[in-house]
Amino acid sequence: MQIKHKYLIVILCTLAAVIISFIIALVHSSTDIPLRTVIQALFSAEGDLARYAIIIRRIRLPRIALSFLVGSGLALAGVVFQGVIRNPMVDPYIVGISAGAGTAVTFAIVYNLSFSFFYFSTIPLFAFVGALLTVMLVYNLARVGSKIPVMTFLLAGVATAFMLDAVRSFVMVLGTQDLQRVVFWLMGSLSGTSWSDITMILPYYLLGLLPIIFFANDLNLILMGEESAHHLGLNVEKVKKLLIAGATLVTAAVVAVSGSIGFIGLVVPHIARLLIGPDHRKLLPLAAVLGGVFLMLSDMLARSLLPPMEIPVGIITALVGGPYFIYLLRRRKSESW
Amino acid sequence: MIKMLEIDKLKFSYDDKNTIIDEINLAINQQEFTAIIGPNGSGKSTLLKNISNLFTPDSGAIYLDSKNLNRIPPRELAQKMSVVPQDTNISFNFTVYDIVMMGRHPYQGRWGRVQDRDREKVEEALALTDTRQFRDRDLNSLSGGERQRVIIARALAQDPEILLLDEPTSSLDINYQREIFDLLSYLNQEKNLTILVVSHDLNLSSQYCSRLILIDRGRIFAGGSPEEVLTEENIGQVYQTEVKVRQNYLTGRPYVVLMPGRAECVPARLQQDFKIHLISGGGTGQELLQQFYERNYHISCGVLNQGDSDWELARRLGCEIVDIAPFSYIEESDLQRNREKIEQADLVVVSELPFGHGNLKNLEQLSGFSDKQIFLLQERNIAERDYTGGQAEKLWQQQLDLHGTRVFTGQQQMMEQIDEMADRAGDCS
Repeated sequence: MQIKHKYLIVILCTLAAVIISFIIALVHSSTDIPLRTVIQALFSAEGDLARYAIIIRRIRLPRIALSFLVGSGLALAGVVFQGVIRNPMVDPYIVGISAGAGTAVTFAIVYNLSFSFFYFSTIPLFAFVGALLTVMLVYNLARVGSKIPVMTFLLAGVATAFMLDAVRSFVMVLGTQDLQRVVFWLMGSLSGTSWSDITMILPYYLLGLLPIIFFANDLNLILMGEESAHHLGLNVEKVKKLLIAGATLVTAAVVAVSGSIGFIGLVVPHIARLLIGPDHRKLLPLAAVLGGVFLMLSDMLARSLLPPMEIPVGIITALVGGPYFIYLLRRRKSESW
Repeated sequence: MIKMLEIDKLKFSYDDKNTIIDEINLAINQQEFTAIIGPNGSGKSTLLKNISNLFTPDSGAIYLDSKNLNRIPPRELAQKMSVVPQDTNISFNFTVYDIVMMGRHPYQGRWGRVQDRDREKVEEALALTDTRQFRDRDLNSLSGGERQRVIIARALAQDPEILLLDEPTSSLDINYQREIFDLLSYLNQEKNLTILVVSHDLNLSSQYCSRLILIDRGRIFAGGSPEEVLTEENIGQVYQTEVKVRQNYLTGRPYVVLMPGRAECVPARLQQDFKIHLISGGGTGQELLQQFYERNYHISCGVLNQGDSDWELARRLGCEIVDIAPFSYIEESDLQRNREKIEQADLVVVSELPFGHGNLKNLEQLSGFSDKQIFLLQERNIAERDYTGGQAEKLWQQQLDLHGTRVFTGQQQMMEQIDEMADRAGDCS
């Protein structure tokens, strides 16, 4: 019973955290707007409130919503990849997603390419397609017959990422005049978010979420080892492929609008696992909420620490997440996760 | 008796070249407690992986309850058959209860909602395996034997008709080995569970199982009761090792006793005790050198010219060499050194080397050893490789008359003869 109790407390705490961070993020930014004004501006845009209504509704709200989506997406994908690959040191970018997206975006920026497709504007489109193509390549490199040995998948991803990063660096050297834009994108940022960013990625995000929700329980069996999962009646290869596809789609959607924001996909799954244990039916929702809160607060700091300048949020997540992760590592007693 | 499992002309290979399972026919009846035994690499684990549908046979088929096993949907199969794999390491912190509950997966819905029946079955499995006290512990905090019992509990929670185990005791102490096999025996007799275990422990299998299947190189070598299978001849042939089979007077089952090789009985070649002196040159000794080296013989060579290809190889293989400068003739002092080597050697081998005036002394010297074991290799006639105008041929023919000298027309035959000599030279006979 004690375990159930703990789960309840954790749920309540995270819910409280979501609400509190939402309010803080709404109020606090490069310029603070008092909470009372914020609430008024949410419901009316008359007179003096018109200015605040625009800031709140068109700038802060979509940005907060997107930061939550991006944070939870990365955390979910991190949990899935760590589970499928059964390696706690894996993050969603490991299979080449960020390298693929980064390379494609660098091409687009340096060569001033401009396309759009289904609400996608140029940069998100390149990031999205680059990420998906890369994972498909890695997947096919790792495929043996109809099977995907996870270690090969991981290593193929790392190798491909190295090569793509080299290509990207080369393109960056050629296009030095655009370096700042490229670097800023690579560091990951949510600046300039609008509602259209959210509507753009939401369908892919939700589609990717489906297998993750659907196979959450099966992911537990995969943690037992693929052979054991097979003996317990699971069609391991099928589940594995669908989970990889889902996590890839979510990550690619997220990367398209935020660049590669580091550390969330690695650290948040661990924090969640420490709080609630390895059962994915509980772990996935908790990781999603924690990831969302974490990025929401990090982005709030990114906006407000050095006004009027914005710090790329990837810097904040790494600076906050890194030390915490090291703390967890030092505190960890047993060998398992 | 009702057939539970039937294996029909099963063949399997990982790649096209190496057949691991070379046609196996086997039927397992209900309630049998069968052990598959055999040496490492005989294919017993691969057979189990075929039976558990982890691998699909190249040809032939496996039937479970008369249904082709490969066509049974995974969930349905998991309700009938459960498997305890060899590796039970789990690197994530699940509690024992969670892990055993996973055995109920084939009966649960998509999100694993736990029903009363699931709880009952899990409790039953925990009780049967005496793992209730670990229920809330992490699997990784348990000892090897305890962990194995938990994995067996998970298999039992699947409520199977047949239980497969792959080397369930391979890393356990004897008290745990007994514990696991006692448990299996109980499940077999009291719970009517059909059990198939792959084991390399002949004695455990013999004491507990009603039937043994001895596998060798992908085929069934023998099958039947322990008495029928565990005979000195069978084990001698399959494991290529000498054993005695006794009866365990408490259980009446056969008991295999390993005969340790006495230290002084190690074959001569293992001690590098068998000394061969090789007379060769011009590359004619390379294959011989290689073969002597692989068989662990002590090799000396002479008299060789430095830079000769045989000399190069002998040097690389670390042989003792009596050598002279390139293109020079053999002098009396060289022959003296060579004589020592010949005297020390158990056997002198002469390759099919061509003879010229430079190395003729090698042959000449041999005529002084009438009782020495000397093997001459002669696939090509000596006349064809005599560049001394008949002198070498004459010496060669004289040599053949000597008591200890034998001539071979094939390298293969000669090697066999040498091996036999070397084995005889050991102290084992």
